[in-house]
Parts: sequence; structure tokens; C-alpha cells
Amino acid sequence: MKKLMNMLMLSCKKASGLIEKKIHFSLNPIEKLQLFLHASMCNACKSYKKKSKDLDSLLNKYIHQDNQKPDSSNEFLPDELKQRILKQLEENK
Amino acid sequence: MENKQATSAHSIIQKWVAVYSDDLYRWALHKTSDKETVQDLVQETFLAAFKSLDKFQGKSQPKTWLFSIMNNKIMDYHRKRFKSATINQSQLNGKSESGDVLENFFDSEGTWKPDARPNERQETEGHLLDNHEFKSVLSDCMKNLPHNWDSAIQFKYLEEKDAKEICQELGITASNYWQILHRAKLQLRMCLEKNWFKS
Repeated sequence: MKKLMNMLMLSCKKASGLIEKKIHFSLNPIEKLQLFLHASMCNACKSYKKKSKDLDSLLNKYIHQDNQKPDSSNEFLPDELKQRILKQLEENK
Repeated sequence: MENKQATSAHSIIQKWVAVYSDDLYRWALHKTSDKETVQDLVQETFLAAFKSLDKFQGKSQPKTWLFSIMNNKIMDYHRKRFKSATINQSQLNGKSESGDVLENFFDSEGTWKPDARPNERQETEGHLLDNHEFKSVLSDCMKNLPHNWDSAIQFKYLEEKDAKEICQELGITASNYWQILHRAKLQLRMCLEKNWFKS
């Protein structure tokens, strides 16, 4: 019994890893049970699970975000580079 | 005749450079880290567009077409950057002479360290990205990650393929992949906590 309990008890370190794994791949039945048991007892990991998913969607939106609005950035391509591109196109004519 | 076609292709691209190059530049700046790379990406995009202009049949907007060319180049960049920054196994998951990155978050028992312990506060992430200050904090936090982790993240979200295909393209195993993301996200979250949520 003790052996079984030890096998099923995860550390937060391992549990948070499985939380990440679950986002991208499927967990095997033992991992599922391990994570379920851990998350039912550990508030920190329960919060982490939510935060990890939130971070996932935040990154997804951030990376796809249209950054074109002029107010979002005042960066412009340097003029000399525009000239260089035009010159290079001229050479490739 | 050929010369005439080349001239008109040339004038089309010339116009596109004038209209779209700043947009492309900003987009690439948002996706990669150094200005030199960004300049190369813009230049290569226009050159590639010029060379394959006959494939552009006006079915999409020129801007959409140019951005799709550029996105492919950005993904190539991150794939290469990931591979070149990943010389050995230990660099994959942040184990170095100073120890595993996970030791910053967990004690020897594998329990959350007090300053890494996730709190129960809910962050309303929906509106965060409307805030320019937040975005610049996030961008700095991404830049502080090891290069291969940053590239893995950029690649993952840009590529929009399933995890197995992404592993194949990056040449890593499934466990390498989620272990990188596990560590990278722990680190990002800690960085955001310190530099944004706490202040």
C-alpha cells in the first residue's frame, strides 16, 4: 500500500511538468491519476495549472498580434536600408 | 519583351517597398530580437517577392502575400537559431554547471520555493495585450530566456502545427519539447510576476 502511495504521489516539480505535458500531448493513465491526485490536494499547483494555460493563450495572442498600428511602435525601416533594397532589386533585374 | 516585364515587376516591387516596408520591419522586429536580423529579413522578403512575382496572381492583397513570405523566413530563422543554440542535451533543458533551472523554483523535495509559489490571484490576461508597457515587459522577459527557448516558443506559436510536427521540425523528442516549455514558462511567469504584477 505504501509503495502504491509513493508511486502515485508526485512532487510539485513533477506535477507542474505533467501540467505542461498535458497541454501538448496526452498523458498515460498513471500520469493522469498522479496529476489528478496531486492537484486535488495542492492549491499551488491548481493555481499553476490555470496560470500556465493563461500564459499559453497570452503568448499565442502576443505572437500573432498585429503590431501594425502606428501608435504601437514608432519604429521605421531606416531609409538607407530602403535604398539598399531598391539598389539590390535593380541589380537583379 | 523580357526586359519590359522585368521593368514592370521592378516598378511593382519598388512601390511595395515604399508602402509596406515599415510594416514588415515592425512585424519582424516584434518576432526576432536583433535589428540586423530584422533588416536582413525585410531585404530577403522583397528579393524573394521580386523573384517569384509571377506566382502572385493578385488573389490576395500584396500585403498578405509579403507577410506570408516573411513569416516563412522568420520560421526558418527560429528553426536555425534553435538548432545552433542547442549544441548539447544539457542546453535543451537548462541544466548547466550552476544546476538545473528548476532548482530556482523548487526545493530539494520538489516543493515550490516560497517566492516561486503560484498565488491564487487571477490575472485578467484578456486586456493585458492592449497595454504597451506590459508588452514591452513581456518582450524583455522573452529576450532574457536562453535563445533556444525563445526560438522554440516563437516557432511553436507561429507555426500553428501540432506538437509532434513541431518536434520533428526542431529535431527534438516530445519530452525535450514539453520540458523546454515547462522551464521557459516557469521563467517567463516569474519574470512577469517580478516586473509587472508586483509593481
